[in-house]
Amino acid sequence: MITLVRVDNRLIHGQVVEAWLPFLKVSRVVVADDEAASSPLIRAAMALAVQSAIEVQILPLSQVDFAALSKDGVRTLVLLRDVASVPFAHAHGLAMDELNLGNVHFGTGRRQVSPSVFLAEAELTTLQQLADQGVRVAARAVPAEKPVDLPDLRERWAKAG
Amino acid sequence: MVGLVVAAHGRLAEELVSTAEQIVGELPAVATCNIEPGTPVEDIRAKMKQAIARVDEGAGVIILADLFGGTPCKESLMMCQRMNVEVLAGVNLPMLLKANSLRSEELSLPEMANQLASHGQRNITCASALLREAQQPRT
Repeated sequence: MITLVRVDNRLIHGQVVEAWLPFLKVSRVVVADDEAASSPLIRAAMALAVQSAIEVQILPLSQVDFAALSKDGVRTLVLLRDVASVPFAHAHGLAMDELNLGNVHFGTGRRQVSPSVFLAEAELTTLQQLADQGVRVAARAVPAEKPVDLPDLRERWAKAG
Repeated sequence: MVGLVVAAHGRLAEELVSTAEQIVGELPAVATCNIEPGTPVEDIRAKMKQAIARVDEGAGVIILADLFGGTPCKESLMMCQRMNVEVLAGVNLPMLLKANSLRSEELSLPEMANQLASHGQRNITCASALLREAQQPRT
């Protein structure tokens, strides 16, 4: 079962290991990312960072069986590098009540909508489409932070223009 | 909740707490004590007492000092004679993060201090050697 889906361009890092994993009490972390999966070094370094009681899978986006992850009884955190990967995962069976935007760094065409999230217009459109399908979209770097929901993110985006 | 005081030379305490907060969010009941060079001992003591008083909610306080034998540690040890305080030396980031999360586990103050010392030590690793080990194909 999917406990949380998080967009974080650092994938597994301090905030995930120290804050989200204890908070979510998941038994499995799935990193769905072509770049991370292609490097044995990155795979080993990321897997090492997670305590051994938690299963870590690092796979190319197209090789993740999202439907199976959603159906079995194992509490799972899914990590995606960017907003652009989310529709693919969702269309391939990723059951998702909530999409957490963790770290989306500044890039060309992106505007700041929270301390750790910068979005481009196309990303905002993608997120709105997910929200229209019933997914709660919120920016929240760590569990202790108050989530900022999509309508507020849209408003901030418009103001930042 | 057990209170935490990070006491260290220079601005290490303040920076350590601010770094921990970047990783896990705001830390409740945490005070810092920066010991700048040339501060008179009386001022250091007053500062330490204030920091302890600020975070003591009745469950006691753990002081995380930077260096065994250094001033922040020595002055902290003076406090633990008269107050419900435990002192740890050699503070590092994993220890501080663990100190924050252990507070929800209803441990006695000495037990919590012990667990923190072990946790801090366990988290000092030769990461590159661990990585080499992890990359070895299992035979």
